Amino acid sequence: MYNYTKFDKDFVATRALQFRDQVQRRIDGSLTEDEFKPLRLMNGLYLLLHAYMLRVAIPYGTLSSQQMEALADIADRWDKGYAHFSTRQNIQYHWPKLQDVPDILEALAAVDMHAIQTSGACIRSVTSDHFAGAAADELADPRPTAELVRQWSTDHPEFAFLPRKFKVAVTGSLNDRAVTKFHDIGLRLVQNANGARGYEVSVGGGLGRTPMIGKVLRDFLHQADLLPYLEAVLQVYNQIGRRDNKYKARIKITVHEHGLEDIRQWVEENFALQRPRFGGADQEVLARIEADFKPPAFKNAPIGQFEARRAQDPFFKAFTKTNLHPHKNPDYAIVTVSLKAHGATPGDVSSAQMRALADIAKRWSHNELRVSHEQNIILPHVHKGDLPEVYNALRLAGLATANIGLISDLIACPGMDYCDLATARSTNVAQGIALRFDALKQEHNIGLLKLKISGCINACGHHHVGHIGILGLEKGGVESYQVTLGGDGTQNAAIGQPAGKGFSADEIVPAIERLIMAYLSLRHDAKEAFLETFRRLGPAPFKAALYPKKDT
Amino acid sequence: MSFENPNLSLSAHVASLNARFENTDTVEMLREIILDPSFGELALVSSFGADSVVLLDMVAKINRALPVIFMDTEMLFHQTLTYQRKLAKDLGLEDVRRIQPSREAVLERDFDNLMHRYDTNACCALRKTEPLKRALAGFGGWISGRKRYQGGARTSMDLFELDAEQRIKINPLAHWSRDDLADYIATHKLPRHPLAAKGFKSIGCAPCTTPVGTVEDERAGRWRGQGKTECGIHFGEVARTVIVTDDGFANDDWVDDFHTFDALPTVETGTLAVDLKGDFPAKNLLQWIDKIDMIRVDFPVFSDGRGFSLACQLRLLGYVGRLRAKGHIVADQYAMARRSGFDEVEIDQALARRQPEPFWQARAKWQANDYQNHLRKAPSQAERPF
Ligand code: SF4
Ligand code: SF4
Repeated sequence: MYNYTKFDKDFVATRALQFRDQVQRRIDGSLTEDEFKPLRLMNGLYLLLHAYMLRVAIPYGTLSSQQMEALADIADRWDKGYAHFSTRQNIQYHWPKLQDVPDILEALAAVDMHAIQTSGACIRSVTSDHFAGAAADELADPRPTAELVRQWSTDHPEFAFLPRKFKVAVTGSLNDRAVTKFHDIGLRLVQNANGARGYEVSVGGGLGRTPMIGKVLRDFLHQADLLPYLEAVLQVYNQIGRRDNKYKARIKITVHEHGLEDIRQWVEENFALQRPRFGGADQEVLARIEADFKPPAFKNAPIGQFEARRAQDPFFKAFTKTNLHPHKNPDYAIVTVSLKAHGATPGDVSSAQMRALADIAKRWSHNELRVSHEQNIILPHVHKGDLPEVYNALRLAGLATANIGLISDLIACPGMDYCDLATARSTNVAQGIALRFDALKQEHNIGLLKLKISGCINACGHHHVGHIGILGLEKGGVESYQVTLGGDGTQNAAIGQPAGKGFSADEIVPAIERLIMAYLSLRHDAKEAFLETFRRLGPAPFKAALYPKKDT
Repeated sequence: MSFENPNLSLSAHVASLNARFENTDTVEMLREIILDPSFGELALVSSFGADSVVLLDMVAKINRALPVIFMDTEMLFHQTLTYQRKLAKDLGLEDVRRIQPSREAVLERDFDNLMHRYDTNACCALRKTEPLKRALAGFGGWISGRKRYQGGARTSMDLFELDAEQRIKINPLAHWSRDDLADYIATHKLPRHPLAAKGFKSIGCAPCTTPVGTVEDERAGRWRGQGKTECGIHFGEVARTVIVTDDGFANDDWVDDFHTFDALPTVETGTLAVDLKGDFPAKNLLQWIDKIDMIRVDFPVFSDGRGFSLACQLRLLGYVGRLRAKGHIVADQYAMARRSGFDEVEIDQALARRQPEPFWQARAKWQANDYQNHLRKAPSQAERPF
């Protein structure tokens, strides 16, 4: 894991102090709310429906046990004893008081954490593959690059007041779990024909009102050119990105309006100016970060208990079928802990559960945890021989739900519960679907299915990339849920297409049930996942199930 | 039963006061009313503006403990605040009550402090009328420094009037002329408002006041260019700006004209200065880059960061002259401006007042904690253990 240097530590401590001063000036009136707003946003502080919300960065989703414990302490001391993991590999506190926020930031700084650039029109906290450094299918660990980008983008003087927010994601695997094609910039670690390390750079992807798949701006960028190239892209965007209409301000629209060719030319011109500015220290820093991310010392131990328990315990077996992912060391497994117990609010976690997770990671996962954009927690390095014990401990904490990748492992934004932009509730639909399919005892039979729900057109629930997406709107004062089909956030990026007119809050769960039942009868066999069946047959039979002809 | 009309009796009272003091010396009249308990508690309302010192001096000599209500609209020149403290000390005023608009009301109605640009009447109501009304509650009457020669509605003003709350309002200087005031100030060697020497004859809120010419009506500088003459209209040109550098606030030392890019003079003339907008393509300036002495980049609102990238590009293209960021930049952005390549920041009085020098000085060490600079160094220069 990355170890903060003195420089990093000084930085976050200074920032916390500055924010303390800014809060003070806001309270005494010398800063207007208008002027305070970008400052608080750059420190992760939102003003929502009921209260302030503090969004703490978990860069590229990696956490130590000590950091998780500190997050639990904050939840107890300054919030209501729980917190919410968001779809941006962040953690959110929904009830802090303005006066307390400087203290919270100080508590975070003490464990090398911060809330910097988790909101506002700046370069946001960098995201990455939640299985990074562990997955068997990985080419290279994307986190050193993500950390380098974090450092470079932190408090960048030119890019704190961009036209809109700017998100960067990095993946090091062919199986893109970081949704890079739907980010403002997506970086994919690649090697060229000569074996040199570098990146494929995509630009202009995004969800929201105008979903777009990122386009490749450079198919190979040498590793050492990354930062000057990012400077160039951001500089072009900062100057020509639209500022007259916030819905047209993201770089996806800039690329769309000017065309990829023009953007590429301007970026290259700028890049030529920027490149000589970089003397090489960045590559030295990168090398040191890479050393920090060296895999832990894996142990050599028997894995007999694992198979034995599987043979005896059907619950354990079910858990291992859904919640494990292959680790690069065959004696190890990556465990995904579901924060989506049936009927719970996706992503919510109590301080007791956070402490339990920290403790489990300390004992059995080399002190390391991950937060996924799918709002689950990952124990990245668990020896298979330890799995039965890990499972027992998770069960004790109420965290052993075996539903990863299944329909109830859905993503839902907070919707009307917390968000003042929401046009519909989303968590109630999430709960309704999870409970219904749990009652039907069909989820494991249905298999891999990504269902995603957003409470408004801003699409924080990523419904466009759900195999099934649900978008909550408001029509004439009542909630109306629109269904999209066939979205995919991986390397085979696709935007889900609307199926037809919306459903009321009462109709939406039965409609999804009809859709799934249709899939079960249409699929070749149990190995053909929903998305594959959809791709083979097209939308027609699914639409027919959603909108059955009424018998006359 | 008495059907006496209380208002009628009040206005009759005011009329008799006017008759009684018609020919009394101003200081004598003030002494009588301030020492006469039948007036109830009195307050002096003062803006600590251009001529306020006259009345303040007279009152202080009669009763230093008389409450003085100082209306801080939160939009005043910072010089006014300094002057207010100086006068209170010099004259020995014992009860200056600085009143400000209600915080909640400002947050609600004018959170960005820009209401004066589009609705000066509402702004004056928020920042003057309402706070004054609150401050005067409980007083029997108040003393104001208005003068007839100031024109407009003031030409027909009496010594004693009734305000909207049926409170007695006393205008002891109603019949005073400019010269009378100047004489009084000279005779008593009273300190002048620092802006008075700079062409300001009537001084109110910074955004709504400009200096006036020697032959102009003295309140011509208030709400200049607007139909408004009493509290309520538009953003006039603020004459003086503040230049912020690492050393703090300073006056502008650049005296030459700024040209727009399209109007850059073709023949070489002394110094050359150009105004640019944030979206200006830096490379269009290439042929000029070593001829220009000063470039000023406009920041229309602080949330528009285009100018930072423009500054960086100008530097990368080889511009070494003076580079200034001008407009709505807040103190917290000072380090960003410096790191992007600017030498200095130009702000207006209203902003300088709201975000005084210490706020900017807090960011004067802009080289500290600079990730980008760290990453751009040559490897051997990178500090260890980074
Ligand atoms: S999708 Fe809409 S409702 Fe949901 S969190 Fe985002 S803005 Fe709020
Ligand atoms: S003078 Fe101008 S700034 Fe002052 S209160 Fe009136 S409108 Fe507002």
